[in-house]
Amino acid sequence: METPLKTPIKEVINRFPPVGAILEEFGIGCVPCSVGTCLLGDVVEIHNLSPADEDDLMMRIASVVSPGQAIRRPDSERGRTAKPRKLTYSPPLKRLVDEHKLILRFIAMVPEIAGRVDLESGEGREEILAAVDFIRRYADRYHHAKEEDILFACFDPDLDILKAMHEDHRQGRACVQGVLDALERGDTDGVVENLHGYAGILTEHIKKEDEILYPWMDRNLSTHQVGELHARFQDVDGRYREVQESYEAYVEKVEKNKFIERAEVSR
Amino acid sequence: MSGFSGCPGSRMVEFKDSPVGAGSEVKIPSQLRQWPIQLHLVSPEAPYYQGADVVLAADCVPFAMGNFHGDFLKGKALAIACPKLDAGQETYVEKIRSWYEDAKINTLTVMIMQVPCCRGLLATAMQALQGSKRKVPIKYVVVSLQGEVLQEEWVET
Repeated sequence: METPLKTPIKEVINRFPPVGAILEEFGIGCVPCSVGTCLLGDVVEIHNLSPADEDDLMMRIASVVSPGQAIRRPDSERGRTAKPRKLTYSPPLKRLVDEHKLILRFIAMVPEIAGRVDLESGEGREEILAAVDFIRRYADRYHHAKEEDILFACFDPDLDILKAMHEDHRQGRACVQGVLDALERGDTDGVVENLHGYAGILTEHIKKEDEILYPWMDRNLSTHQVGELHARFQDVDGRYREVQESYEAYVEKVEKNKFIERAEVSR
Repeated sequence: MSGFSGCPGSRMVEFKDSPVGAGSEVKIPSQLRQWPIQLHLVSPEAPYYQGADVVLAADCVPFAMGNFHGDFLKGKALAIACPKLDAGQETYVEKIRSWYEDAKINTLTVMIMQVPCCRGLLATAMQALQGSKRKVPIKYVVVSLQGEVLQEEWVET
């Protein structure tokens, strides 16, 4: 491999599987990524490692992919700070992180919802449709639309990291369609499988955004862009205030039902 | 000798000449786009504040930072104040709130020195935000006595 830094990460891991484990040790979870076209050099940049950690990581990757040859990003591209990683966000990105929290609370309920799928009763079907409604209107139309239409538009659409995020959104939407198709067929297993599929994709996706993508975006957004994003998000939030409140109430209700059911079981 | 070291804001410190850039002939252009700049003197509704990214700097910051104009002032509107010595700071709260509500500024960057008394300027900006109908992202930058950026973060509002 002549230029490892310019090689897509999936190709590096496929050719040298130990690299996946090395990256994992540094908190870089590229192995399960569904796209993997990000270049190794970009992956290292986006994770903002301290110079010492970056040197250590590169030395270990070099020992696998090009023994005896050092791999080092140009000094101009290396991080200037050796600060420990502390996750802080600008106000607009903090708003998206807070929305993730509601989505994660819903995802935590998916095993309960999937565990009692009853397509024979109207009530059982309604429960699935309510879950799909939350995903489509809150997670997708409200939250993902803010990301795709406003936030991602601040960056080069050809960035591999953005392509990977779009792909996660696409796969999530495919799972939701899968739930509806299975519901139509009366296929309980299909509903359960697609609900779990959605939960798995979104859990990983949110982790990537909270820990990697958003901090990287904050480092690259200008102060002016942050102000504009904040104003545009507030505009959207104003228009969707009732949507937010009603879906917070929905998640609370699902959580409460779980609590009541558990209490009844233990009685 | 007293065991008390005194207030860090007024303790005497002498720095050695910086080897980098000392005696440089390069002229650095000013990025200031307005006058006046002192917070008591400015009108918060002045045209240069409308929709602007505003820097509110503690008086000492631009003297401590060699690159204040290029790194922080460029493209922004400015006001300066001293949270330790200025009188009538209740007026500051009203003026900053007017930036948020009337001038509809885009962002506010509060630049303060590392000395504890300087935190008061950030507290004033936050106090103004709490009573404001319109929310604005606030960033704060803490500058060392020798002009290094020690901390640069968005305030959680």
